[in-house]
Amino acid sequence: MINKYYIERTAQAVFTVFAVVTMTFGMIRLMPGGPVSYIRSQLVQQQGNQVDMEQVNALVEVYTNVAPDDPLYVQYLEYMTSLLQGDLGVSMFYNDPVTMILASAAPWTVFVMSISLVLTFGLGITLGAVMAYIEGSRFDVSTTLVSIFLNSIPYYVMAIVLVYILGYQFNWFPTGGRVSSEVATGMNLAFLQSAFYHAALPIASLVITGFGIQALAMRGNSIRVLGEDYIRVARLRGLAPHDIALRYVGRNAILPMYTGMMIAIGFMFGGSVILEEIFAYPGIGYYMFRGIMARDYPLMMGAFLIITIAVVVGIYVADLTYGKLDPRAGSGGGNREAY
Amino acid sequence: MSKTDDTQTPTTAGTRTGTGTDRTSIRVDDPIMEIRNASVTFDMERGESRVLDDVSLDIERDEILGIVGESGSGKSMFASALLDAVVNPGILSGEVTYRPRGDAEVDVLGLSPEELRELRWEEISMVFQGAQSSFNPTITIRAHFEETIEAHNYNMEQAMAHARELLSDLYMDPDRVLDSYPHELSGGMQQRTLIALSLVLEPNVLVMDEPTAALDLLMQRSILSLLEDLQEKYDLSIVFITHDLPLVAGLADRLAVMYAFEFVEVGPAGDLIGNPTHPYTRSLLKAVPNLDTPLAEMRPIDGMAPDPVDVPQGCSYHPRCPLADETCRAEDPAYHSVSPDHQSACFHWEDSAEAIPLSTGGDERGGGDGEMRAFAGNQSDEPVVSLENVDVHFDQVADGGLLSVFQEPDTVHAVDDISLDVYENDVVTLVGESGCGKTTLGKAVIGAQRPTDGTVAYRGQDIWEAKDSRRGADIPYEHIRRSLQMIHQDPGSSLNPNRKVQASLEAPLKRWEPDMDPDDRQERILSLLEYVGMSPPGDYAQRYPHQLSGGEKQRVALIRALLMNPDVILADEAVSALDVSLRVEVMDLMLELQDLFDTSYVFISHNLSNARYFSGKAGGRIGVMYLGELVEIGPAEQIINDPQHPYTKVLRWSTADLDIEETVEDPPLRGIDIPDPVDPPSGCRFHTRCPEAREACTREQPTLGGHGDGTEHETACFREYDESHEYWDSEPVVEDDADATADDESGSWGHANE
Repeated sequence: MINKYYIERTAQAVFTVFAVVTMTFGMIRLMPGGPVSYIRSQLVQQQGNQVDMEQVNALVEVYTNVAPDDPLYVQYLEYMTSLLQGDLGVSMFYNDPVTMILASAAPWTVFVMSISLVLTFGLGITLGAVMAYIEGSRFDVSTTLVSIFLNSIPYYVMAIVLVYILGYQFNWFPTGGRVSSEVATGMNLAFLQSAFYHAALPIASLVITGFGIQALAMRGNSIRVLGEDYIRVARLRGLAPHDIALRYVGRNAILPMYTGMMIAIGFMFGGSVILEEIFAYPGIGYYMFRGIMARDYPLMMGAFLIITIAVVVGIYVADLTYGKLDPRAGSGGGNREAY
Repeated sequence: MSKTDDTQTPTTAGTRTGTGTDRTSIRVDDPIMEIRNASVTFDMERGESRVLDDVSLDIERDEILGIVGESGSGKSMFASALLDAVVNPGILSGEVTYRPRGDAEVDVLGLSPEELRELRWEEISMVFQGAQSSFNPTITIRAHFEETIEAHNYNMEQAMAHARELLSDLYMDPDRVLDSYPHELSGGMQQRTLIALSLVLEPNVLVMDEPTAALDLLMQRSILSLLEDLQEKYDLSIVFITHDLPLVAGLADRLAVMYAFEFVEVGPAGDLIGNPTHPYTRSLLKAVPNLDTPLAEMRPIDGMAPDPVDVPQGCSYHPRCPLADETCRAEDPAYHSVSPDHQSACFHWEDSAEAIPLSTGGDERGGGDGEMRAFAGNQSDEPVVSLENVDVHFDQVADGGLLSVFQEPDTVHAVDDISLDVYENDVVTLVGESGCGKTTLGKAVIGAQRPTDGTVAYRGQDIWEAKDSRRGADIPYEHIRRSLQMIHQDPGSSLNPNRKVQASLEAPLKRWEPDMDPDDRQERILSLLEYVGMSPPGDYAQRYPHQLSGGEKQRVALIRALLMNPDVILADEAVSALDVSLRVEVMDLMLELQDLFDTSYVFISHNLSNARYFSGKAGGRIGVMYLGELVEIGPAEQIINDPQHPYTKVLRWSTADLDIEETVEDPPLRGIDIPDPVDPPSGCRFHTRCPEAREACTREQPTLGGHGDGTEHETACFREYDESHEYWDSEPVVEDDADATADDESGSWGHANE
């Protein structure tokens, strides 16, 4: 029963990715002002009206892995084949293979996003738990207010404010780039310091605007759990307060947030588009934005694919692991007394 | 860190001024606990709420003390007070003394937090009502045991061995239970596991707060009989708190009745049941549906229990008491000794027997005659709703994914091949354990559940054909839909909390009679409200559901169903959620309205007493269901007094009598838990638990009709067949009862947990 669920869920994930790739293919072909017309107009600019259609098609094939002359199904098969080989085409703007550009950018995005995620949830859950334990206190009330206020600010507004004040006005933080050009690439202290220094503002803008909602969610969950009978029974049984806080309150309050946490991974990738542009931080989102601005279709599509896959994988992992964390899930709807 | 600590430092004992009553006279020879002048108060905006009022009581060593009271009478507060575990912001005052063996004395309220932590569970332990919610859902049962043992620094190995022994004592497989998560156990197993968990540190006192209220009657009785064994084996003193007087009557050594946050009568169980002297106890005995009291004698208690903020002056029961006089209104009665160990807090205890007569019980088991038939209408010959060979099967599939087609889904046989006719002005009560399919059958009757096979006809018109074809049906589906209505178990959740009573009641009228004049509509609603005793109706119509009591909500739900002028109303456990003393009142009202509206009821209950009262009073039938099948059906009094099917006999056994002589004994049953409905036993489905089962039962399935004496009373059991049936020649079933021969008293329960 459980195995069947895993197989089905995996098939679903693969199917979703496949569907997205197919859509990407369709969009490349159908979009008005797509890559074909773009390349043709580029050539027209360079060579005047003497444009050789064959030359255009050859160029299109180089960049997008799709030969416009072939029948549709051949184009589709070729596109899929090259994708499976890891070939996302060649960026028109940078004139480099898209795979290479994205591969060098991805670790930086993952770096920023994972730290943001850990901080957002770590801060949110801790604050929420403390607020729940001292519910109604002045700390609880003021933290609630601050959480709501910060949560209502869009992260990109916070990003602009941060980069303007701390970056341009005070020059405390860099306003762009991944690391300082002076340090050598590698696992040395100076490099790491520089990397964190450059990533600080993007991370800060995500965490400051993101932790509030998590704190409030955790607070609500914890208060609900604190009112449960099993907490009272556990106290009467004489369990140590920290055991109750961790194993009873913490565990039962965090569980409902877990799925949200996994989905947040995907959405943070999506959010990286604007964020990395604001901080001129060359990650996946930054290249996607460049791709859109320069009508660089292969780059755009490649970044789009990566982000989609990240979302799908995030939700997939959440689904698969939730049953492991919560014994009630995954037993097929549980209560047999229900009918 | 822990802010909502349960503990409260005791304040000085609060005594009520101006009463001058002596309520400390209830003493026993060898008390294990003494409670003196215990009060619990809550500060509320409306004023101080006193939910335990200057209570004194002794608990004798090794006794089972039953504490009986309606909901909101303060009995749970008393339980919490014993462990000094009153929830915040309640304040407990008074004295609670615990006397372990010897002369040692422990002042429970004066203990330091650490001493209190040790006292709880090691000396005094507690079992709560909702077993499911008493366990942490995310850790295993084993972890619950281990962390408890660890927190008290007991020897893990010894204590776990004790835990296993306890689980076996409670007829469960220790390994299987320990490795389970709480949700994987059935309700009855959870409750038994919770009892084992509370006894793992070998306490001397066990406080049980409604430990069986959420369970089926059969499971309640089974647990009670286990409890008696445990009490003897481990020398426990048990405080058993319940609203169900008949349930504890046979179990308890002493009984204490609570009313309005204090004990009104305390005494040995026999005296208290046989010769109750407080008017409230007497009224309570009459108000609780049971199988012995003649139906005509059951009376609800008029009035309502007092609000804890505003307890009446003098005797708190005087507004509802027929004996009340000036003294009662002015003065709080002290305890009067009926006998040395039987106390009653009433000035008129000597006169109460005359004023509120109780039948002697037993002898004159009420027949269905005379004034009792007052409600019985003219039942027609033609059925209103007729079920023929109805099956309802549910496919149990966790998710409907792509690959599930390769797997045979598990089929739950909720209803299997049942034929049933409901006549006009009829009352059919369906009884059975939870999961037996009684609700599903009820829904099939009113066309709310589509049968997977068989037909459901309303006045000859197939309901589902009418729905599917829309046109061409003799009776349009809309008409059928209005004619078959339903009342749910929980009146609170069946009313929209954001709509006033008036709006909730108007909705069906607007839907079905759009031409009705708004004034007429209003008039009709108000007159119905008045009729069911909610006056002034204009005031009630403007209230929201949360401003109504449970009984009033159920009345509104009843009116809502009746406004449709239905032919059949399905009442699914309609009185189970109500307070015991209210049940008779609401059932009376339902029957009265049946007369007025010419309607029929299909009444669903897990409680044979309620079934007997409801069906018996209207001259209706009782149908007994087991695992999706109707095993016996017949006139109410016949089913109760002359049950034929072994399962009906078991249900009859499980329904506690008010007879205290009868101790709780092992049930006429070979297993506690119901088999899995996904894979029901072959042949007669009851054969796995039936004490009369023979080899023939495992192969062949008995049917309802076609044998016996051709009366209304039908039983699906081979024992009703004539002598020529092979049942009488086949061997008794013993195959899986190897240990039953070794120890047939209790070993026969060993298979409870299939």
